[in-house]
Amino acid sequence: MRLARFWRGAGRIWRTSLQFRTVAIAVMLTGLAVTGIGGYMAVVIGDNLFDSRRDEVETEHVRATLLAQDLFADAFDVEDPAQVDLENLAITVKNNILSSTASPGTTGFTMLRTPGQSTPRTMPRPQTQDFPEVITADLRQTVADGSGRVYLQSVTLPSGAPGLVAGSQVDVPTAGQYELYLVYDLTNAQATLGFVQQTMALGLLLLVVMIGAVTYFVVRLVVAPVQAAAQTSERLAAGQLEHRIPVQGEDVLATLARSFNGMADSLQQKITRLAELSRVQQRFVSDVSHELRTPLTTIRLAGDVLYDQRETFSPTTARTAELLHAQVERFELLLADLLEISRYDAGAVELDLEPTNIVRLVEDAVDSVQLLAAEKGSDLRLVAPGGYFEAEVDPRRIRRILRNLLGNAVEHGEGKPIVVTVDSNSTAIGITVRDYGVGMEPAMANRVFDRFWRADPSRKRTIGGTGLGLAIALEDAALHEGTLEVWSEVGNGTCFRLTLPRERGVSILVSPIDLPPADGPPLEEAIND
Amino acid sequence: MNARILVVDDDTALAEMIGIVLRTEGFEPLFCTDGAEALAAFTEHKPDLVLLDLMLPGKDGIAVCADIRKESGTPIIMLTAKSDTTDVVRGLESGADDYVVKPFNPKELVARIRTRLRPSPEVTNDRLRIGDLVLDVPGHEVRRGEQKINLTPLEFELLLALAMKPHQVFTREMLLEQVWGYHYKADTRLVNVHVQRLRAKVELDPDSPTIVMTVRGVGYRAGSTD
Repeated sequence: MRLARFWRGAGRIWRTSLQFRTVAIAVMLTGLAVTGIGGYMAVVIGDNLFDSRRDEVETEHVRATLLAQDLFADAFDVEDPAQVDLENLAITVKNNILSSTASPGTTGFTMLRTPGQSTPRTMPRPQTQDFPEVITADLRQTVADGSGRVYLQSVTLPSGAPGLVAGSQVDVPTAGQYELYLVYDLTNAQATLGFVQQTMALGLLLLVVMIGAVTYFVVRLVVAPVQAAAQTSERLAAGQLEHRIPVQGEDVLATLARSFNGMADSLQQKITRLAELSRVQQRFVSDVSHELRTPLTTIRLAGDVLYDQRETFSPTTARTAELLHAQVERFELLLADLLEISRYDAGAVELDLEPTNIVRLVEDAVDSVQLLAAEKGSDLRLVAPGGYFEAEVDPRRIRRILRNLLGNAVEHGEGKPIVVTVDSNSTAIGITVRDYGVGMEPAMANRVFDRFWRADPSRKRTIGGTGLGLAIALEDAALHEGTLEVWSEVGNGTCFRLTLPRERGVSILVSPIDLPPADGPPLEEAIND
Repeated sequence: MNARILVVDDDTALAEMIGIVLRTEGFEPLFCTDGAEALAAFTEHKPDLVLLDLMLPGKDGIAVCADIRKESGTPIIMLTAKSDTTDVVRGLESGADDYVVKPFNPKELVARIRTRLRPSPEVTNDRLRIGDLVLDVPGHEVRRGEQKINLTPLEFELLLALAMKPHQVFTREMLLEQVWGYHYKADTRLVNVHVQRLRAKVELDPDSPTIVMTVRGVGYRAGSTD
């Protein structure tokens, strides 16, 4: 469990920290290289040490063999060979050899009679105390068959230490051929090798650690400015436009910082200019609003005064007063819509959200056009399988969208029924307004949201829109992060669908209501199929 | 005698047109085109009602409104070109009784003026109690013990509406209809702002009101007389 967590943590640091990753890779690679080099060096040094020791041993053994040979020769030169005390001679040879060996670590001496000879006398075996039983039959065979040179064999001493056995032939007069063996303890050489290896390992380990540290600092030198750049760009993105990267020196990082700062400068300028433009635009809209409304109010008052007295005028003047009255009203609506849409264009619109019961809101909107629908002979129905909850919307804007859609439906509905549907699912609220009137060609339906576009310029207008209603409705829907779509077919009517997110910030997966509507294809066609 | 109405607007054409409308409706209009002179004109003519444009040269309408309010409770109706939230609220907070958004039609304007000038509703008894206050209806006076509290006619009417039906809970819409004469959905901020102003005058502690009680999610009602 803990290990798993450790690995997960390490994996995360690996992914997120460039510094960690670089240092880790550097340390791993140097570690590998150092292990290789170190191993090679250890082997070479070990071999060399062994070889030199071996040469030493060999030389020494040669000397010892000669010494023994001389001693035997001298002993038999003076006296009667048969009277020579072989036992004493053997001890003398042993002592002489042992005292003459210069190199340390000579631990054993023995002389063995080569088997298979018959001589008048035999020499008792001279040997040091606790002579290790390390001489193999193979070696003895080799020495016995050999031509007088020195044979060496690596052995393990009973103490566990590495050792070397050297053997050679010695002729003992009257007693035949003997084999002289010397055993050397290599503990010293082994210790030297161990010490060298240890020092080397420590040194290499230190080297790896140092390379890790150096890499860390070098990477830091490079990464720190990059981190500073990342932080600065995050701040810039968050709107703190005055933030810059500190520039140091003349190197490539300084160039990066300078060009980044240059980019930030031009961004800041552009954003400031856009903000200024937007502010000017808003200001302009507000000024136009005020400047236009004051004379418009005067005109409106004047028109109304004349309109109220039209019965006292001649028919022509009376009609003029009527036209003036109606057109001033239209102008007013147009001005209001224009101001609204220019507010959208200036990005100066904000939602005034409050929890609103969607079905109640739709009911209100339906009620408000009920009278108008009845005048046109349309039966206005509300179907609400869902939507009985409070959603965070701007009720004023949603009501405006609905009034617009309903107004259109009544106007183009040709007195046929109009069905308003409200439904909801886990992510969205859907509202459709369906009429069964004249409908439109698809090409026309695509243009209904265009500003000042009219489906049929020749048609007599009864409700009198400004031509901006659907454009504003589309903006209102978009402001809610929702959508407003249309489906229409000539002769089968039109269906507008408004889809709003159920909660702010939750993206709409699918609208609760289908478009084209379920009753889209006309009944007759369905039967013919 | 005809009610006299002071029209404070820098646009002379509009002012004259408003004058024509007012005269045909039987009012007597007076004019002032500069915000800085508005208060002087007010004290000189003592009008029955003021129509006040918010955007004025010299001194802006909100400051003029506050100045007039310091001197008297004469009804003030603001003429605003913007239906901007902050402007309307600031105007109401500085003491305006009601507001009309340009462009308005003459009937709307006249209806607003008539509501503000109409006499208080007939009441059966002359004295009404609300909380620890006593309303002298014919004298248009409110007293707490011996102390007289100065209210504007609108504030008096708001308090009176609550006091006349002490057990009734009034929604903001009901108050808009009864006190402001709106028969359609209107701006409920009118009620909110004026309840705040009224409380500031009549409550001992406006933060925990005992005279004009809030009924959460519904509206307001009169505090008990105990």
